[in-house]
Amino acid sequence: MSQRTTEGSRSGETPVIELRHVEKHFGDLHVLRDVSLSVHRGEVVVVIGPSGSGKSTMCRAINRLETIDSGEILIEGEPLPQEGRELARMRAELGMVFQQFNLFSHMSVLDNVTLGPRDVLGLSREEAESRAMELLARVGVAEQAHKVPAQLSGGQQQRAAIARSLAMRPKAMMFDEPTSALDPEMINEVLDVMVELARGGMTMVVVTHEMSFARRVADRVVFMADGQIMEEGAPDAFFDHPRTQRARDFLDSIRGH
Amino acid sequence: MGLSELLGTYGQNYLDGLLTTWGMTAVSFVFVMALAVLVTVMRVSPLAPLRAAGDLYVQVFRNIPGVALLIIIAYALPSLRVVLEWRTCVIVTTILLGSAFGSENFMSGINTISVGQIEAARSLGLTFGQILRRVVIPQALRTTVLPMTNLLIAVMLTTALGSQVPLDPQELTGVVSYVNTRSTGGILAFLISALGYALTAFVISFVGNRVDRRVRILR
Repeated sequence: MSQRTTEGSRSGETPVIELRHVEKHFGDLHVLRDVSLSVHRGEVVVVIGPSGSGKSTMCRAINRLETIDSGEILIEGEPLPQEGRELARMRAELGMVFQQFNLFSHMSVLDNVTLGPRDVLGLSREEAESRAMELLARVGVAEQAHKVPAQLSGGQQQRAAIARSLAMRPKAMMFDEPTSALDPEMINEVLDVMVELARGGMTMVVVTHEMSFARRVADRVVFMADGQIMEEGAPDAFFDHPRTQRARDFLDSIRGH
Repeated sequence: MGLSELLGTYGQNYLDGLLTTWGMTAVSFVFVMALAVLVTVMRVSPLAPLRAAGDLYVQVFRNIPGVALLIIIAYALPSLRVVLEWRTCVIVTTILLGSAFGSENFMSGINTISVGQIEAARSLGLTFGQILRRVVIPQALRTTVLPMTNLLIAVMLTTALGSQVPLDPQELTGVVSYVNTRSTGGILAFLISALGYALTAFVISFVGNRVDRRVRILR
């Protein structure tokens, strides 16, 4: 099992993100069942699965946008704080990119990117802006820096949102279906930025339906269904020889046409 | 009494009345906005008792007639040894009523902010207070300029409660009573005051529209 080899080869190192036996219910719905997952430094873990499989919930639980019923979530070996300033501090170290971009609509793109560094990290305006402009250039939206989000295309907004997260210099980045709300022609411009990030050594958890991205970029693919991690492994092994029937059905259904 | 005679005799009273109305309106509105923000922050806070207190405040002061509240403040509070100046009584009444409506305006403004933006702010590590200050309140303010313009006009009209207590100088509505107890100004005495209100309201809504166009958030 490739999961074992990944973990085995890094047994001495504390994972950046670790979930241990995480359980969560939404009312009667059991959305996370005994979910355990480790993400090591520099690793890109792509989470796939049918809708309602709990993959977004798991992603959001990592920085406690969703609370969990039981189990543990550790960031660099430290348990995720329940609330308050410690939680805010921990969240500042984890980047999060959303399906709906979620840029602050009353601020320019530049102000979106400098808000966190200035208010949370205490950077001066000059420092924050030079860091922001550098990142906006890296994701290709530097020309849009002084516009408000509504003036940008979806793809540009998502790239700006990635820059906003990167400006915090996070230990890891979570992507919750980052291309699902985009028009098809804009998907690649966002994926390209993510590929760049992965190549640069960023630790990433990516929930996505983009199978080509998973195959190309993932160090490990995690397949979830019914709130459980059904299997995980290296992308080629998973896509070419899925071990569970659920994974075979899922892959068939998305390859069906 | 004709118009020129009325203005000749009582012109100064009307002018003082207009200035008094403006003064009380301005002071009231500053406190209305401050209190509306405070009450709204309570209503969205993570602490249930604060939320309940904020909701109660709005329910009480949105649903009480202005005159009843003024009577309580001006004539009942002194029994509890709280004696306020007449002018203060009117202003406090106006602030309590106006801030309840102002908070409702803010709540509707807050509801236009997507949950996603709040989650994004949380993910950046902003605290509750920072999220309020940097994300929620600025957007709530900028999306509620027009309702707040209406509120400012309502606050001005509410200061007419001042006609029910012996103010000195009187505000616009009080001036009408003053004039009509001394002369037979009739409807004309009212119309002069009404014109003062209407012109002020016109200017307020003109400015409000301009401000709204400048700060409106593109979505």
